Amino acid sequence: MFRKIIIFMIFLMFGLCSNYLFAQQKYEKESRIKPKDVPSKAMNFIDSINLKNRVKWYLEEGLETKSIEAKFKYNSKKYSVEFDTLGNIEDAEIEIKWDEMQTPFKDSISSQLKKDCLKQKIVKVQIQYSGTSSEILSKLRENKTSGNLTIKYEVVVRCKSKDTVVLFEYLFNKKAQVLSRSEIIFKNSSHLEY
Amino acid sequence: MVFLVFLELLFVNVAQAQSTYQFGALPSLNINNKFQNGWSLNSKVESRQLMKSGNFNGNSNTEYKYVLTDFSFITAKKIGLNSRIAGGYLFRLRETEIFHRFIQQYTIVQKMNGFRLAHRFSSDQTFSNGEKPEFRLRYRITSEIPLNGESVDPKEFYIKLNNEYINSWQGTDYDFEIRLVPLLGYDITDNNKIEVGLDYRVNSFLNNNTRHSFWLSLNWFIEI
Repeated sequence: MFRKIIIFMIFLMFGLCSNYLFAQQKYEKESRIKPKDVPSKAMNFIDSINLKNRVKWYLEEGLETKSIEAKFKYNSKKYSVEFDTLGNIEDAEIEIKWDEMQTPFKDSISSQLKKDCLKQKIVKVQIQYSGTSSEILSKLRENKTSGNLTIKYEVVVRCKSKDTVVLFEYLFNKKAQVLSRSEIIFKNSSHLEY
Repeated sequence: MVFLVFLELLFVNVAQAQSTYQFGALPSLNINNKFQNGWSLNSKVESRQLMKSGNFNGNSNTEYKYVLTDFSFITAKKIGLNSRIAGGYLFRLRETEIFHRFIQQYTIVQKMNGFRLAHRFSSDQTFSNGEKPEFRLRYRITSEIPLNGESVDPKEFYIKLNNEYINSWQGTDYDFEIRLVPLLGYDITDNNKIEVGLDYRVNSFLNNNTRHSFWLSLNWFIEI
């Protein structure tokens, strides 16, 4: 009797996972790397900023892409600088406070968010600079903004809809127009909850 | 601080009273199905096998004994960005007895700098023919510490630490149980994790009859 119940329960559990084989997975991996494994071009770029704080290096792997990322604090702000695997700079991001942004720009973003969400809360704002290595370096080191530098804003928003609450990452251009919006998927946590 | 008080209580208890122990294995399979609009269903099967038991005075029994199997089904609804409420049913087979347990819980998972922290507040009610109903109130804190990078990614190891405090009432009896579970986990893929470690439980120390349980914990988590 008990053996039959156990067998039935196990079949029930596996029956519930019949669509498992067809589930798609998104592969993204971030792992810490040692400074000796960083391409010299990337290391030279970071060295030329003359940082006093420690730099943490990461390797980010997607399904088809790989990049190297340097994270550090500079002038009390959080920076992250992304390079390709050869050490060529891709962009630099600086975390800022929502209040540091100019009012008309904030208003434009807010009105966009009100269209998309019933309730919203700004979680994180980053300014993203892309351009040539020397343009980005002079922005980071001397805060000089060259006219050729491309500026975008990455805004992470907690967005409440009718049925659920999700986290979105928006990318805005200088005119506060939406360039992209993607949902941030949290890592599974059932092993922490059950 | 609470833990230090607990250790002192435990030490005095081991020294002065009849303390018993049991040692065994606790393998589990946990399947979590995700549905639309933040709903999910968690199904779990866990079996308990005793390999050694006795008391600290020297008497022991090393005979292998299958103890019980639990099947649980818990439905959860995401109510915030990182929080969930859940309710479910557990079915326990122990020798010839069947236990029915109803479970309610609230969990919140926090992403900290370099690790994750989960808090679980739960209550349950257990009914069976042979025993008085048991009512429990529980709190568990769990941390997940990646051993590489800032978060746990596929093909990486992690440390998981559980610490749980359980109040239970059965008839006129009250008991308090503490659990400490250090585990080494491996993230096979985003949807598959295995963990191995020690599930240590101590209870009955309030009435000078401390019982220590050491279970070899083997967990497999599948996410769908």
